Amino acid sequence: MTDRRMPGQALPLVLGTCAVVIALLFLVYPIGSATLGAFLRNGKPLAIENLTLANFERFLTSGSYQRAFWHSVVTGAASTIVATALSLPMAYAVARAAMPLRSLVLALSVLPLISPPFIGAYAWVILLGNNGIISNLLRDYVGLGLPSIYGPFGVTVALALSYFPYTFLVLQGAMAAVDTSIEEAATIAGASRWRVLRTVTFPMILPSIAAGMLIVFIKAIGDFGVPAILGGEYQVLPTLIYYQIHGFFNLNAAAAIAMVNVALTVLALGALAWINRTRGVATVTGTARRAARPLPAGLRWSAIAYVWLVLLVANLPQLVVVLYSFSERWGDTLLPSVYGLENYRRVMGELGTVVWNTVVLAGAATILCLAFGAVAAHATARGRIYGRWAVDLIIMVPFVLPGLVIGVAYLTAFNEGPLVLTGTAAILILAYFTRRVAFVFRSASAAITQVDRRLEEASTICGADWAMTMRRVVLPLIAPALLAGGILVFATLIGEISVTVLLYSARWKTITIAIYEYLLGNDIAKASALGTVTIVLTLILVAGASRLAGRNMADMFR
Amino acid sequence: MLSVRELTKTFGAPPDRLVAVDRVSLDVNDGEFFTMLGPSGCGKTTTLRMIAGLEQATSGSIMFDGQDYTRVPPQRRNIGMVFQSYALFPHLSVFENVAYGLRPRGVAREEIASRTDEVLRALQLDRYRDRLPATLSGGQQQRVSIARALVYRPSMLLLDEPLANLDAKLRVQMREEIRRIQREFGILSLYVTHDQEEAMAISDRLALFNAGRLVQLGRPRDVYRHPASLFAAEFIGRANLLRAKVLDRAAGAAKVMLPGGGMVAVPRVVALGDAETARVPPDADALLMARPESMKLGPIEGRMPGRILRAQDLGGTNRYIIAAEAALGELTVEAARSAPEYGEGASVGLALNAEECVLFIRPDPR
Repeated sequence: MTDRRMPGQALPLVLGTCAVVIALLFLVYPIGSATLGAFLRNGKPLAIENLTLANFERFLTSGSYQRAFWHSVVTGAASTIVATALSLPMAYAVARAAMPLRSLVLALSVLPLISPPFIGAYAWVILLGNNGIISNLLRDYVGLGLPSIYGPFGVTVALALSYFPYTFLVLQGAMAAVDTSIEEAATIAGASRWRVLRTVTFPMILPSIAAGMLIVFIKAIGDFGVPAILGGEYQVLPTLIYYQIHGFFNLNAAAAIAMVNVALTVLALGALAWINRTRGVATVTGTARRAARPLPAGLRWSAIAYVWLVLLVANLPQLVVVLYSFSERWGDTLLPSVYGLENYRRVMGELGTVVWNTVVLAGAATILCLAFGAVAAHATARGRIYGRWAVDLIIMVPFVLPGLVIGVAYLTAFNEGPLVLTGTAAILILAYFTRRVAFVFRSASAAITQVDRRLEEASTICGADWAMTMRRVVLPLIAPALLAGGILVFATLIGEISVTVLLYSARWKTITIAIYEYLLGNDIAKASALGTVTIVLTLILVAGASRLAGRNMADMFR
Repeated sequence: MLSVRELTKTFGAPPDRLVAVDRVSLDVNDGEFFTMLGPSGCGKTTTLRMIAGLEQATSGSIMFDGQDYTRVPPQRRNIGMVFQSYALFPHLSVFENVAYGLRPRGVAREEIASRTDEVLRALQLDRYRDRLPATLSGGQQQRVSIARALVYRPSMLLLDEPLANLDAKLRVQMREEIRRIQREFGILSLYVTHDQEEAMAISDRLALFNAGRLVQLGRPRDVYRHPASLFAAEFIGRANLLRAKVLDRAAGAAKVMLPGGGMVAVPRVVALGDAETARVPPDADALLMARPESMKLGPIEGRMPGRILRAQDLGGTNRYIIAAEAALGELTVEAARSAPEYGEGASVGLALNAEECVLFIRPDPR
């Protein structure tokens, strides 16, 4: 009876050890390896005499490196400003204008996040490119020439429209949380509506505005798809990394660029953490919150019109892709002149393989995320383990780092040495896992904290060992959250490109790579057919996950 | 029989070390209903959780029927436990909740059904067999929780403030119910509460905790009548404290003078702290403790004077809150309906039944 190590107690030990090994090998080691690689001479093994700063030197000497750096900063900042400018009035309108179809508005607002940004990017080519539908219409009928969609203008617009949901969601949440009685107090004191907004509401949500902006900035400087399609000669850090690898296979140079990219991200993250710490002070929440004073009818209707206009423009790319995929001729008219399924017939041959590859890779990664995420979440929420913050950090860092950086990290870590994975399905699965496990971890953590700790104690007291407690009590209770997290992982992996583009091999070509290849070959029709498949699949899955979790689709991304 | 010896639990490292339970020893007999009583943070729940095995004891031992339980994991102790929050599995039916503990014990399927149904019947829960816990009332959930703890015939039943979430009326009903079930099953039960009335009403014996220590142990009436400390006097029941001077004392008894109230002989004397029982200087300060029912109101002449602050009609009795010069704080006196009634602000004379009083010598200067 005094023996404490019984069979039932060994399982958590085994699982915990597995989790630690996986975390060290696939979450920590690649990033460490890339960091080290950035300081090594190209192709040289790890040794003191091979340590160098040469890989960074080009940021001082090479014009193209410097330009890429500044382009990243400029398009990142510009798209952040545009996104914020778009979402501020929109958030105010949704929070205060008694918006009809509010939940539909919220759901539509996250569509740009759900459909992969690079799919949106080439929709802008279809619309505003040199031979785009709108460009042609404007040129032929108005005689107006648009600035080229290729370059900073297009990159900024596409990034802003892809990522504005982040600022919108943060701001909308903050505005909804503001205690309306504070605004009423200002109104009673004689302030006009505009004055209340300027002196009361705005200062209260200022930290949220900053937080939302930083999220957009982090996403924008890490994006590969948009600048890859719309950038042309205009390079940013992620595309520079891509060309270093695909052009020269100079992993060490790529690692150095990645480090600079990481430095920018970390800077923004630090600011975000600082703001988040101070944020709680600003949002005062009353216990009995009442609806805000309604806007006058005129203002309200213009607010509603504005919201729908932004939604239309932001979702236009997705709409165009779908429309284009069903068109057989789309010349100089606003809408296609001939509809048909020809584009789908043309991709049929490849469709099965790439969809199957995508499903296998994303599915395997999802299962890994579920297993690891659940164990890690339970251990951090319940176990008496030290360094909870470290677990959080290890899981969250790969989540916020640009995908290309994780790609580079995996290449440097598993291209040679003890564990060679390059060219296998495993490297994609593990990199996907690295990038997405945070989804499951966070939703499982939240679910576990909702489960009364006493339930597990009651189960133990009843005589159940650890395994039975998990199987019969904990897992059933967190299953919906796990499933929702898992579907979200799977859905967002269908459109993944920035990791895939560095790690895929001919055998494991995914749906996004196929799209990317069609685009490079200027076969927009085929690309749009596959793009539509991606958008529809993702949308169905995310909608399913949000139903399972019992939340609005928008809340899945908050 | 459960034997707890020198049980200690500390949290944290030396500079900010918190001693939650400090060398607690107690014995509970088979079939006994034993209560651990005390204010929140006194260590009673931590003690219970160590007996359950949910907390690891820092030192000390827990023996049950001669077996050392101290290091046995909770799932091997064969105990039943009722939690304050009930901790019912929200996704399992009443039947599955109750049957839960039979499964790890390898009970055959048919026997699981028959034993579970038997317990459900005993607790009048058979009608709710297939319901989910959330659809039951607080009292019913409580009974499910008790059924779940009893179904596998545990060697003891632990109850951690099981009535705290119920409303006042149901609380009284449920505590009678718990006592009835406990007698019916004849099971050694350990009950934790901060409600002294509850503890008095249902316990065979109780242990009073304060600041991590077990400060007094005994039958409820003995602890009420013979509190061993001011804390015990004030925590269990109401205590009226009067300033007194010791005139004379013999073995175990003393004669004291009350300010403006003459001389009384008190048969019970408790020496506090290091007060030397044998040598108490004449005129030493002391505190006389009288229960509300040991005091009487009457005409002022020849008695301690007081003034009625508030008069409360409790239905069966009248309760008076009284200010008196001799008193430490306010006095509470309960008088039968038949006694003369007084209004607020009236001056009264206070008399006490010294036979039922306790004298505390050299109390803390308060």
